[in-house]
Amino acid sequence: MKVKGFLKDVTGASRVTKARLNAFESASATPETVDPIAEVVKQWHPGKLDLIVSEVRAVSKTAKTIRFEKVSGGKLPFFYAGQFIVLDFQIGESIISRPYSISSAPYQARLDKGFVEITVRRSRGDGFIADYINDTVKVGDTFKGLIGCGQFYYEPLRDAKHVVALAGGVGITPFASMAKEIAGGTLDMDLTILYGSVSSDDIIMKEELEAIRSDKVHIVHVLSGDEADWQGEKGFLTAELIKKYSADDTTYFICGPQAMYMFLREELKKLNAPLRRIRFEVFGQAKDITTFAGYPAEVKDQTFKLTVRRGIHEDVIPAKATESLVVALERAGIRIDTGCRSGECGFCRTKILSGSVYVCPENDGRRAADKDFNYVHACAAYPTSDLTIKIPIE
Amino acid sequence: MKFYKDHYDVIVIGGALAGLSSALMLADKGKDVLVLERHNLPGGIASSFVRGGIEIEAALHEMMSIGAKDNRLKVGKFFDDMGVDIEWLKVPEAYHASFPGVEVTLHPGLERFAKEVDGVVPGTYEKVLKLLNLCHTVFDSVNELSIHPMSKAKMLVKHEAFVKTAGYSTQEVIDTFDLPKKAQELLAPYWIYVGSGFSELPFTIFAVLMADYIGYGSYIPRKFSHEMSLKMAERAEAMGVQIEYRQHVDKILVRDGKAYGVRTARGDEIYADYVISSSYPNKVYTSMIEPASEVPQKAIKMVNARRMSLTAFSVIMILDQPAAALNINDYSIFRGETMNTDILYNNLAGLGPYRYLTCICHNYGNPTCTPEGTCSFSVTVLPQVNGWKTVTAEEYDAVKHRVAKQVIDDMSDYFGANLLDHVLEIVIETPMTVSRYTNAWNGCIYGYAHTMEDHIVARLQTAEEESIIKHLEFSGAHAISGDGMGPQVTNGRKAAKNVLDAMAAEEARK
Repeated sequence: MKVKGFLKDVTGASRVTKARLNAFESASATPETVDPIAEVVKQWHPGKLDLIVSEVRAVSKTAKTIRFEKVSGGKLPFFYAGQFIVLDFQIGESIISRPYSISSAPYQARLDKGFVEITVRRSRGDGFIADYINDTVKVGDTFKGLIGCGQFYYEPLRDAKHVVALAGGVGITPFASMAKEIAGGTLDMDLTILYGSVSSDDIIMKEELEAIRSDKVHIVHVLSGDEADWQGEKGFLTAELIKKYSADDTTYFICGPQAMYMFLREELKKLNAPLRRIRFEVFGQAKDITTFAGYPAEVKDQTFKLTVRRGIHEDVIPAKATESLVVALERAGIRIDTGCRSGECGFCRTKILSGSVYVCPENDGRRAADKDFNYVHACAAYPTSDLTIKIPIE
Repeated sequence: MKFYKDHYDVIVIGGALAGLSSALMLADKGKDVLVLERHNLPGGIASSFVRGGIEIEAALHEMMSIGAKDNRLKVGKFFDDMGVDIEWLKVPEAYHASFPGVEVTLHPGLERFAKEVDGVVPGTYEKVLKLLNLCHTVFDSVNELSIHPMSKAKMLVKHEAFVKTAGYSTQEVIDTFDLPKKAQELLAPYWIYVGSGFSELPFTIFAVLMADYIGYGSYIPRKFSHEMSLKMAERAEAMGVQIEYRQHVDKILVRDGKAYGVRTARGDEIYADYVISSSYPNKVYTSMIEPASEVPQKAIKMVNARRMSLTAFSVIMILDQPAAALNINDYSIFRGETMNTDILYNNLAGLGPYRYLTCICHNYGNPTCTPEGTCSFSVTVLPQVNGWKTVTAEEYDAVKHRVAKQVIDDMSDYFGANLLDHVLEIVIETPMTVSRYTNAWNGCIYGYAHTMEDHIVARLQTAEEESIIKHLEFSGAHAISGDGMGPQVTNGRKAAKNVLDAMAAEEARK
């Protein structure tokens, strides 16, 4: 073949080399150090930030709201209403992290003195960190926090404009964020919150929520306990009740205790809503792993030897059969990155080099190839033998 | 606590396809290798994620250069040779081309492809086949020359077609075939991703891609690209490579013009004889070399002279219907208002509306990749980085949703089915997403554009003098072979070969 004549054709390779070298020669010598794409990423996902508690207030008989600002001041990152923050706690020898749904609105994080808030209820004796927060955390305390995790938020390209939120107890928090963001004018959706509480004095953030009722934000309190003078809805969040507040096309967002999830899975089936209209927040760490299908009950009282490899370094620590690998690591003061603690986000992805684990079936969010090569999400994996794992160096 | 050895033969920055290929090849030759990857899993964008219990491919449309089991091409052969045993599924078609007046599904196989083009534009079979054969001749030459370099005189005798077309753009060479416009357009859809319209795209690149893709088809791993990345990483570890995740390299340590180690964001200083960087030269020369005084002006001019290639904007959806119920009938659909690549390239400069969409329905390549009754469908645009560089953090979410809606609406119109009525899961990936997970410069997935000013032949001829800091090699989309996942394996091998050659030369000097 011939394009422009034999000679021109065969000197093509030299010609393009010369063109390239000329381009180098005539280019600017000033380094371009700023990457504008990375700058946007920094404002959305800056990683863990140093935060300081600027306010603590009671929002019910048993719950407190903690407000965090940046230690260095200024705006906090963008996030979506419904997402959570991962907070690191140093308690004694242990370094523990926990996810908390953010109960303030995204626009409040972007104020000049931006803040995020979490709302935590005292536990009924089983929530070590929840009680620590309620009893101990005070203005001026500092924490590291990762803002804006999780998939539990309104996505306009997926969800119906009319959203019915089904909240139980402290599960109100992501919906408080959504409601405030709607009130702030920065989120366009219609939100009806069906909020189940045991008693009227158990209702969290009652006044705050009352203040932002509008034609776009409806709050319906539902009490499961018996109260003589209660005029509102009573009982559980049944299919019948949910139906009463649904539009033709409704997306259901559900956040609450695990028992409520089990109940609502059945109730929602009765509504015949398409699968894409039902969005559960993550399940949370299993309260009692021995109650899940297939759990090898014979190991439940054992403590195993857990060898932890980080780089070429090794530690050997104890690991109880009924506690996840993450808990064993945290107890031993070995840092591991965690996010949702529900097996979904994969932050705590860990390689099992030898030994065996039981993976909580509610929280198995692993990739298929990861399963093949014995990777687990350590927050959802429970030792069933002595084992050796490899985790990232933090 | 000591997490690292005192010394490694080679530190590889980045555990994606290029870095892992380097690591595999070096470990195969007995070298002590450390790979530092900033994410908590291997692969960079060759990855997957799980949403609502469904695993979703993050980026891979298909792998080229794999070939059938009994006739492997270079990437497939490398995986086989290294013991990286991937379950490859053959993609059933080349692509469905959709542009004004044309709806046709084209298949791999040079003759079959030419026949199918002839079906749309009768009377073109001979010419198209001749063009494809020319592509194949150039492809063979490139493959041979990459292993056995030879003198120009000898090249002219043995690789005449390669030599004679090297100085021309794709358009200039195609013009000599006197093909009707419509037939030309049927050859065009795929290659915009390499970052140039046909008037600027070196024919050499077009020929290699065309021969590989149309000649041999493409493949995907059964368990998403994470299967490929993970198997590479697992194999490398089995061969003695140390891979550490969540380790972000801040600095490359240089003394007297020679790299000798790295420092991570955690503060670990780690030493090695050689460093291979998957980080872009732009980033390395402007902020990673320590001390900065070790960066000569020449390096800055070099990165400033080169044009960034394209990046990706993808909307990935799990839909709550089988594909056929939504009139989605092909693995890949390339839909454009035109197939004039120069016009399309200009359209990619902005923030939309985008006029050329690449769609993948994963289920046609991997039928069981989503639960029964659902399908995985993605729409991708490959914009220039410049448009996205103007987007502020404040407007980012709105822009992302506006563009996503435009591309979904366009495809809904095309299918006659409103995809938005069926979204079970949706993920919008932007250049910012790429930047977030890989730290790629400008969120650019494709390195430097292949142009007549940055021609692969020229890159090869001047490679040696562009090695500015000794004992530092580059491996990734920004390296010589350029963009695409298959070429990353080649780039990674090339960097490893350079290191091995330099080691051997130093050994010989001693």
